[in-house]
Amino acid sequence: MIAGYRSLVQIPWRAAPRAALSSPLTLLVSVVTALLLSFVVAAAVLHSAASGSAAIAYQQDQLCTEALHPSLESTVGVPHEYVAQGVRELTDAMPGERMLIGMYTREKRADFGGAQTYAKFGYRPGAMDHLTVLQGGGKDGLWVPQSIAVTTDLRLGERGMGGRLPPVTAVYADVIDPLPEWWCSERHFVVPNVLDRDELASAVVWMPSAESFYDLPPEVAGPTDVTVRFPADVPRTVDEAQALLTEGTARIAPIADGFNRTISPLVLPVENARQTVVNVRSAVLPLTLISLLIGLAGVATVTAQWAQRRRPELRLLWVRGAGPLALGGRGVLELGLPLVVGGALGLGAARLLLPAYAPSELLPPGTVTTAALAVVVVVVALSLVVTFATAALRTHREFQVAGRGNRLRAVLTALPWELATAAIAVWAWNRVEHSGLATMTKIGGLPRIDAAALAFPLLVVLTAALLTARLTKWALAASHRVSLWSKPAAQLAIRRLAAGAGPVTGVLLVGVLAVGTMAVGTAVAGSQKTALEVKSGMYTGANTYAQIGPDVTELPEPLRGNSTIVGFVKQYDRTALVVDPKTFRDGAFPVDIDPALLDEPLRVGSAPRRQVQLPGLPPLEPTAWVPSFPKLGTSGWVVPVDRISDRDDVGSWYVWSSKPLREVTEALSAAGVKMSRNADEKEKAVQGLPFLTIQWTFGFVTALGAVLAVVASIALLLAVEVRRRQNALSGAFSARMGLGPAAMLRSHLLELGAVAAGAVLVGLAASAVSSGVTVPKLDPAPRLTPTPEVPDLLPLLLTTAVGGVLVVLGAAWIAVRSVRSAKIGELIRG
Amino acid sequence: MGEHVLRLREVGVDYRTPAGVVTAVSDVSLDVPATGLTVLAGPSGSGKSTLLRVSSLVERPTRGGVELRGMGTARLSSAARRGLRRRDVALVFQNPADNLIGHLDVGDNLRAAAQAAGRAVEVDELLTRLGLPGTASWKVSAMSGGQQQRLAFGCALARQASVVLADEPTSQLDTSSADLVLETLSELARAGVPVVVASHDPRLIALADTRFDLRNGALVA
Repeated sequence: MIAGYRSLVQIPWRAAPRAALSSPLTLLVSVVTALLLSFVVAAAVLHSAASGSAAIAYQQDQLCTEALHPSLESTVGVPHEYVAQGVRELTDAMPGERMLIGMYTREKRADFGGAQTYAKFGYRPGAMDHLTVLQGGGKDGLWVPQSIAVTTDLRLGERGMGGRLPPVTAVYADVIDPLPEWWCSERHFVVPNVLDRDELASAVVWMPSAESFYDLPPEVAGPTDVTVRFPADVPRTVDEAQALLTEGTARIAPIADGFNRTISPLVLPVENARQTVVNVRSAVLPLTLISLLIGLAGVATVTAQWAQRRRPELRLLWVRGAGPLALGGRGVLELGLPLVVGGALGLGAARLLLPAYAPSELLPPGTVTTAALAVVVVVVALSLVVTFATAALRTHREFQVAGRGNRLRAVLTALPWELATAAIAVWAWNRVEHSGLATMTKIGGLPRIDAAALAFPLLVVLTAALLTARLTKWALAASHRVSLWSKPAAQLAIRRLAAGAGPVTGVLLVGVLAVGTMAVGTAVAGSQKTALEVKSGMYTGANTYAQIGPDVTELPEPLRGNSTIVGFVKQYDRTALVVDPKTFRDGAFPVDIDPALLDEPLRVGSAPRRQVQLPGLPPLEPTAWVPSFPKLGTSGWVVPVDRISDRDDVGSWYVWSSKPLREVTEALSAAGVKMSRNADEKEKAVQGLPFLTIQWTFGFVTALGAVLAVVASIALLLAVEVRRRQNALSGAFSARMGLGPAAMLRSHLLELGAVAAGAVLVGLAASAVSSGVTVPKLDPAPRLTPTPEVPDLLPLLLTTAVGGVLVVLGAAWIAVRSVRSAKIGELIRG
Repeated sequence: MGEHVLRLREVGVDYRTPAGVVTAVSDVSLDVPATGLTVLAGPSGSGKSTLLRVSSLVERPTRGGVELRGMGTARLSSAARRGLRRRDVALVFQNPADNLIGHLDVGDNLRAAAQAAGRAVEVDELLTRLGLPGTASWKVSAMSGGQQQRLAFGCALARQASVVLADEPTSQLDTSSADLVLETLSELARAGVPVVVASHDPRLIALADTRFDLRNGALVA
């Protein structure tokens, strides 16, 4: 049997993938390294894409989801006699289109068989299916709102306007805030606004059919407003929103001329969502790159260990004439498959764990199969290149230029990386100080996010990690001067640390980075979440507000203990609040203020200087002041309600409540309290997307920190496992010399605990300093009080400490177990 | 091939150590005949292994030159030296396992060795010649140290190299295993393959056709 000697790929290279099976640990470490690396980059891509979906979802929550498709309104008052023809032309122009046409007259004097009243009439297909019936319910007659029914001695079956109106067949509950989704876009027409006597103030009397609406008696018809909505599925991603916007705009273009308003609610959200994706992507890029470098360093380490293990074979092949490049290829052939498998698993893990780290589970189509797959392919290719280069360089250095020393490592070690990162951090701090974070290019748009500014806290952590690694290396090099033999556990721990200076500094570097990154991520994300909550509350004054009339002095029973009534006065740039000291704290957004201060007039923002006079209020010359106050922010006056002589003179009155809007409006409505359309909740008062963008970005930073923590933990456990034989031998000798098991365990706990504690302490300290100075500067809405503050990090500290202790205990157990299992055998052999 | 397969001229090898420069080989000149067994004898630290590495083109000398089959190698590039090693040199290490690829079976080890030199091998015939018949499908780990070292010389034969060099081939073997290796070396020498062995094993030295004694890195008369 003559072997084919001209084979393109020689046997050792051909058999390399199978050879990988001979070392399950290397195989596992390669797979896990590639998995984490691929997870990080794929997660960065998926997170950025998902943030676009989250941005769309958040903004749609602020909009009317039933009218996201571009729509049309004619609010100039079309003469009633032209409405029927106009609607016919519309339906003829767009046959087969799903259109929802609403028609509303202006208020006119009318009667429904009883007393006269002001009423407006409307028709919208399906309206009667979306109203709450209080009396009757037949759909072949008029549906009259309760607010009109109670004032007109209304009886079902009677016909108004001398019998020219259809009979009244139902009384329905007025449509009030918060609106059912179906009514959302029609708010301006259907929600009664009885405090403002304009032509649209009353609730709508619904006609049973379009024809009956067209045939309204001329006395109640008159100018008519028309809305044309196009029901469509709610878009879930940026691409879907863009498609709806583009297609919808094209769809309504042919009929838009007949309307005075074209409403395209998705224009700004789509733009903002796209900007969010860019912002998040650019903001997570620096840490992703750092993680990528760490991951590739891990791949290089795995390859170096592989080359060490395969040294006899590599030397044999080299002696037989194989060059460094061929041997690099040998490494790729053996480690390549695990790297590819790890890469694929990382991509899968990133997709599966999306709900755990991303702000939305929804991804634009193809994100996983194109963008994420592309970066994973690139990263796996980079890993293969690193594997090839490491194996080739190692064999070149080991065999071809043996004895010349590792100049590359010497140069890389000598370079002051920490000075470079510190210099970049200083530059980033300059960007933080002059950051354009609060500069919006347009109203409702997003502020510019400066990725360099956002990277500042991470650069501080990175600098701290590099500095710690450098100092630790120097300290360990000098540790032979330390003599603590009176405490042998400590002395042995120091010697072991010094013996493993390379792995120790590596684990410490990644550990500090992991803890610091998690802490920075948690601090900044938490600060933004709290800032949005508090700023919204301070802006609106309360969780919920609803404007009421000045005659309301008592709260309905359901709102007692959770609400308050406040008056609001504004003249030019001066604002004042009239508060009820007894109930103010029940309903207002929680604020740290001495209740006694509310009993007297109060200045907000700065010390009182002179007497001021505001309309409806007595002359104000307060002696006390507070820096900020709900609704007023950092400037204004607070007046106790008992100082007001006439409530009608105060600009406007509100119920402020800690309850949800629905409970407030229902309670007020049930009590017969008249409201305006000026009612909402704090969640919709402030554009939260800038806060959320930073929150999502640093949420991902936290996730990356967690991955790094896993890497640091595995590295520590592996470092102990790799040193199993040395530990076993030295431990067995130490035991032979009288070191007890407890002291041995103490020694390992001291050694590993020092590394873990160093990582936790330095990481937390660096993140505390960097977050402390950065968080107040990362304020997307500096005009609103208060500035963001670092949240309570005690839970993170405790979690990190517990995690660190568990890893140290696990590693110490591995070390001690190897000593126990090897004690007899290793000593005999030695 | 001329009269000599290897010619070393004033070869010197220095190593840099933390304690300073150490001279491992000092101005050694010798000619290795194109046939028979040549032994570099000497105690540990005498420089024979270093000289063997230099002779096998694995290591460049600090001074002097090595000629392989009449070709000077001093000015050759690394790639050219690899080419010479690939075709003309077979090196057998001290530790038997270091000469074989552990995850390949015996037959594939022979094939891989031949393939590296661009040559063909008749595996069963060679194994029979080595006294290892029927072991082609064995795992390397199933063989004794002596069998592994014989297989290592088999790999050298499969490469059909111009010269076979071996570093202390019997030092890690028990007496009976070492006997097998000595037998193999004798057969190689009888077959006209030039073999150069670095050893301090008296039994191996006794087999030498040509002998060079080294002390402290230098040849002794």
